[in-house]
Formats: sequence, structure tokens, C-alpha cells
Amino acid sequence: MNCEVCQLKELEVEHFEIREVLRCILHTILFHRALGLVRPKDVDLELFEITYVQCGDMELERKIDEKIDQFIDRVEKHPNKKNQICLSFYEVKNKHATWFTNKVERLFWEHWYINLNVMQHPKTPSGKSHHSKLVVDPGVEARGARRAALEASLRDVLFQIIKFVNEKKDHVPSIPNVEGIPFPYEITISRCT
Amino acid sequence: MASYQEASHSEPAKMEQIITEFFAKGLHIILESRCPYVSSRNYSCEQVLSSPSPSSSSSSSSSFWPRDKWFNLSLRDCPAALENIDLWRQSNLEPMIIDVILVQRPVNNDQIISSSKSGHARNFSGKERVYYSSDNEEFGSDTKREKIIERWVLQYESKRSGVSSGSKRSTCYSHILFNKLILLMRSLYATVRLLPAYKLFRDLNSSAQIRRYNLGHRVSSFVEPFTRIEEADMQRFVFTPVDTSCGRLCLSVLYHSSVLDVSSEPSTPISPQVIQEYVGSPLAEPLRKFSSRPMSQMSPASAPFGRRHSWGYDLYRASSPLLNPSPSPTYSESYASVSKQRSRLPPASLPRQLSENTPAIHVKNPSFDEYWPSPTFTPSPSASPPIYIPGSHVSNVLLRSESAPVSIPISSRAGISSLPNNQMLPPSPPMKATRSSVVKTDARSGLYKTSSTADKLLSFEKDEVGRMSRVESSSNISPPKSFSRSSSRFSYQDDYDDSEFSGPFVVDDDDMTDLGTRPGSFDQPGHPSGSREKGSLFPVRKSQHAAVGTLVQMLKKAPSLHQDISVTSNLLQGSKHEMPKNSNQDPDEISSTPREQQSTSVNFASSGLVSPKTTAGALEELCEYKEMKNSMLKQGKSPQA
Repeated sequence: MNCEVCQLKELEVEHFEIREVLRCILHTILFHRALGLVRPKDVDLELFEITYVQCGDMELERKIDEKIDQFIDRVEKHPNKKNQICLSFYEVKNKHATWFTNKVERLFWEHWYINLNVMQHPKTPSGKSHHSKLVVDPGVEARGARRAALEASLRDVLFQIIKFVNEKKDHVPSIPNVEGIPFPYEITISRCT
Repeated sequence: MASYQEASHSEPAKMEQIITEFFAKGLHIILESRCPYVSSRNYSCEQVLSSPSPSSSSSSSSSFWPRDKWFNLSLRDCPAALENIDLWRQSNLEPMIIDVILVQRPVNNDQIISSSKSGHARNFSGKERVYYSSDNEEFGSDTKREKIIERWVLQYESKRSGVSSGSKRSTCYSHILFNKLILLMRSLYATVRLLPAYKLFRDLNSSAQIRRYNLGHRVSSFVEPFTRIEEADMQRFVFTPVDTSCGRLCLSVLYHSSVLDVSSEPSTPISPQVIQEYVGSPLAEPLRKFSSRPMSQMSPASAPFGRRHSWGYDLYRASSPLLNPSPSPTYSESYASVSKQRSRLPPASLPRQLSENTPAIHVKNPSFDEYWPSPTFTPSPSASPPIYIPGSHVSNVLLRSESAPVSIPISSRAGISSLPNNQMLPPSPPMKATRSSVVKTDARSGLYKTSSTADKLLSFEKDEVGRMSRVESSSNISPPKSFSRSSSRFSYQDDYDDSEFSGPFVVDDDDMTDLGTRPGSFDQPGHPSGSREKGSLFPVRKSQHAAVGTLVQMLKKAPSLHQDISVTSNLLQGSKHEMPKNSNQDPDEISSTPREQQSTSVNFASSGLVSPKTTAGALEELCEYKEMKNSMLKQGKSPQA
């Protein structure tokens, strides 16, 4: 079984937009991978005119919010860096408990990389770096244009997810008869250098 | 729809069933997000009452319906989808083409007040059905513009394959196919919400704004292809086909990306406004037998009587601004069929509900007082003098909901109470009919809130008004619409068979007879709550309008007013508060309280003259008055001299 990788289009977001954008993308991906019995829940973004779908799992929602909080903390601590969230799905390989190790091997079959470029607030002290982008108050019209562009980019990212899910189906493992997400997953936050 | 578990164990049967359910589920997902107010998204309130639906965030398998398990995507009912799937259950080789149609009303056509609710089906053929919102009818067939903004195509491309049905390989095909279709349905579900038309759907569903557009849909197996120019303006999104053992399942969509311009057009916020030509008004229906003409000829103070049916409008004006008082004839006719549908409802529960809900009218609609006729109302001489009708507290509420004050006493249960004695009330429909109609209103509102059986019966009515929206949000206009129409039905004067119009708006015979005695202002002055002759003037089940007509007839037959004046003049001369036992008075007639009679006849009785009963006598009296006038004038001049 091969491992498929999907690098999503990079989005430039402001600090206050991180939570909504990440929720939208992560839940969309997980909705397409929560292949057990689900009752979809439509969620409207507040900052954008986009409706995305959650799979209705409260536990999943809580975990995602936790990860988003961690991401935001990291962004605040390292404002000059590009940050990336990786959502990975894996299978648990046969557990071979040995005398020395009790390691459970994970066999990843899919990675989703969400690339966010967080624009920094001008008041935030930051060193000069080609990765950082200082946000100068552009005015209402420019802000609106930027917001519209971000909405279009976010919509593109969602369509990118849908296309990837449609085109790559063979690597998805067999779906067990469970509810919600049948596949284990993990969300990792990494830094782009 | 058989559940997946109940399907046949043979592989070809499984495959065929999966393919059939592909069409059904795809149609369900698409229509659910394109049909305003029939979306399962809006069923949250009603489904809680009618069926044990799970919460949106719960994924407990025990709360799911079996049919929701197809492709592991649990969706609520979508009647539009259920009604359109029959063809593809018989043969899944036919392509399914779903057109989402944007219906736009011209900007200048402001007279039509509409909202997007319900759906109305028109069967073109056995293979094609067009569903439009009921507002499309009101838009007018000549003025609306239709544009296909989305075309979804679901198709099973069959091909001969060498795979035998009994091989192990084919055994896995159904399982693999099912899993892949799960992914496809998830993608479809997300995609329909990302396309531009979804915003229009949300706008139509969400607010009480009057929109100049509406969404309809058409499901067919053959359509006229787009022209090159049309297709050039559209974008295509193709889902990756899913291979089966004998073919592949294809799903694609052509959509307009510029439909968002429609939603950005200024919409008209709904604000309270006076509509003169509402259903049942004399202006809208001048040909009605009910004495709208006499009413219109009356003094302006008698306007409340002319607005006899405005109470139906008033009742809902406070609760819902979305009101369409001028339906198209088709709508009225379809409403008649809906009424017939309602007649199948068990009436036993309704009277109790009516009686229980009656007092609530007072609480919910406190603004009715402004429509109560002014206390300074002075009826024309031809009108019968007002009466005082004691009754229960409930009856006061009922009066308030009636624009035309009730002057016919009925009973303690439904009678009118706490009317000011000096309040002049013109002839009006009998209280019984009023109560029934008013109570029916409340019954109707009550039904919308609590009854699920009636709603389900109504929701699947195809040829009538359409699906009666059960959205309990304030934007639901079905109750006011239907209620105003019900009031128009009350305006039929004669020969209206209430058996055709039964259901929530019909009060049983028991209720009518239980009204008890009518306050006997017809009879003796000292017995305001005297008995009435049941059935003589107000037969049960006669429409309100017919009762009013009967009343008018009575008034016309009633002896002239001056006879009463002669009586009251006697009273003024010396007698105390006492109703004269005048044999001239028809005991079934409406009569006024002595005090009110005094107020109306004070001028006539001041002379103390006894008016004769003939024309000659009246002329003589007139001459006497002239002489009196002249004498008084002379007296007035002489002091000055």
C-alpha cells in the first residue's frame, strides 16, 4: 500500500483568521476520511461565506480545537516562521511486543500538509526575515480585497481536497463497520525552514 | 428502500442495489441543498416532534433510521428526492439529470409579495417532473425569468464485462464499489455546499426578506442540451467515475459561477403594511354575495364591519410579516384541495384543541385592540342598534380578533363580555361562526406547532398549495396564507358546504350546540342571558358569511327604528330601565340594550311625540317637527329683537 501525499495550497492568513481557516480545512479532510457512519453537520464560517461540513463527532472536534490552540501558540512564539500542520492517517501494524521494545508500528497511508503563512501584526516586534510579512494597515478596501482573495484561496483549497479524495481512492484501507472515523490519525505541527 | 442488510446476498443484486442507491443518494444530497424549505436541514424542529431524530452532533447508531445508512451518510428525509426516484428504481440505465433553476422576478413587479416556501409539482411526463416553489406561480408565468444555473448528471455507463457473477473477484466488487461510493458521496455533499447556488439556497431559507428570485428544480432523464454559448458561461466539475464490474458510475455538474449577482440584488425587507385587497376583502372580491356593497356604502365608522375578514390578516400580522393576502386563483384552488385533505384529519381531537387554544389568542395578539371599532362609532339609521352581550372572558378575546364587532350574542361560553355599553356595534356575523373561524385559526397555529400527522399529510400533497412548510420560524407564511384564505371561504354566503372544508377549521356540532344560550338581548331586557332559539337563525356549520347574510335579512325585515323610538320615548318619559315587551319585535331579532337605544334615539325621543306607524303619520310628525322648529326659531329671534 502506497502513501499518498497532498500538499495543499499555501494560504496567507492573519492571526485572527487562523482558527477558522484551520477548522475548515481539517474538518473537511476528516469528513472525507471519517468513512464510518456519520451524521454530517454543516458549519458556516463567520469570516467567510463558506460552509464546510463536519462529521459530527464531538471528540474529534475537541481534538482539532486543541491542535489549533497549539498551532496558534507556536505561531505566537515563533512569528517569523512558516508553519505547517500535517494530518496523517495510518494503520497500526502488527504489534510485536518484544523484550526490549513495545513499540507499535504505524504504517502511514496518507499525509495532508496544510501550509499557512501567518502575517504578523506591525506592533509585534519581529526581526527582518524573508519569511515574515509585516502587515501595514492597508485601509478598508484593501483589507476587503485581501479577505476576498483569501476566501477564494480557501475555496480552492477545499476543492483541492475534494479532487484529491476523488482521484485517489485505491490507497484507502478497507472501511470497518464502525461509526465516525474508522482510521487512526495524528496531527502534527511542524516548522518550515 | 430496503436497507443494505436486507439486500439480496447475490452479488449482481447487490451491485444493482448499490447502483440504484447511488442515484437515490445523489439526488437526495443535491435536492437537500437546493430546494428551499424542503431541506432536511430545516427539519430539526419538526422532526423532533414527529420522529425520534438524533441530534446533529450525535452519531449514535441506535438513533439512525435504517435508510440513512446508505454510504454511511445519515441524512434526514427529503420528500423531493423520494418523489423523483421512482424511475431510477425501475431502471438505473437511464441518466438522471437534475436542473437547478433560478426563477427571477422582474424588478418592476413589486405588487407581488412572496416568499419562497413549499413546492408545487407539475408532472410533465412520467419521466420528468418539475418542481417549483409556490411563489413561481405568483411570479406570473409571463414575467418571470428562468435560468438553469446548475445541471447535475448522474449516469451509469454500462459495459459488457467478462467478470462472472460467481467469482470471488466479483464478490469483492460490491464491497469495493460501496466504499468508493462512500467517498464519492462525501465529496458530493461537500461540493454542493461550495458551489454558488448554495448561497442562493441559504438566502432563501434564512431570512424573512422578500427575494426577487427563487429556486426550483427539475429531475428528468432527458433534457435539451445547452447551446455552446450557454455552456461557455458555465463551469464543469467532474467527479472521478467509479468503476463497477459492468460499467462505471459518473457524476458531473455544470454550473454558473455568476449567480451570486442575483443574491446581491437589493431585497425588500418585510415590514408591516396595510393591504387593502386581501383575500376576503370587498375590494378584492366585489362579486361576493356578502353585503360588501352595503358595507361600503355605510359610514366610515362602519369600516370595521367592511373589514370583516381583516381579523384573519390581523391575527397573523403580528406574528409573521410574510403574508400573501392575494393569492393566485390557482393557489386558492389548490388550497381548497388542501382543505379537503384536512378533512381527513380526525376531528375528535380538534375541538378539544380548539377550546384549549382559544384563550391563547388573547395572549398572543394583544395588538388587536387597535382594530377594534372606535367607541364613537355611530351606525346608520338602517343598522340595528348595538347590543350588549354578556359572556365569558374568552368571548371578549374572540371579539377582539374579529374586525367586525359581533352583535349577535351566543352563549356564555363564546359570548362577548366586557363590551362597553356605549359601544356601537354594527351588524356582524354571528358569534358562533366567528368563534369557529377564530378558533380555527388558533387550531391551525396549534396544529403547526404540535401536530405531526397533519403536517405529514399536508407535506406530501402534490397538486395543492405544495408542501406546507413546517418551518416554525417566523418566516413561515403558510399559516397566514391559508388562514386568510379560510376567511375568504367564510365569506361565501350561501350554499357553502362545510363538509368540503372540514378539518382544523371546522367546529363539530357538539361544540356548536355546547355554546349554550345566546344572551337574550333579543328577548327581554331583564334577561340578557336569556335563551335563544337554537338553530333558527344560526344553523350549525353555516359559514360566517352566510350567517351575516341572514342577519342582514333579519334586519331588513325588522320593524323600522322609529317603532323602537316610540318605545324608548316612553321610557324617557318616565319608565325606568326596562325593555318594552313590544310584540312588534321579532324575538329572533337583534335588539339593543335599553341604554344604547336611548343614546341613539335621544334626539328623536326628546320631543316626546309618539311616532305613528304609517307614512302619513310620519309626514304628520315631520310637519309637527317643522312647526316646532319654526316656533323655536321665532322664539330665538324675538328676544334679540
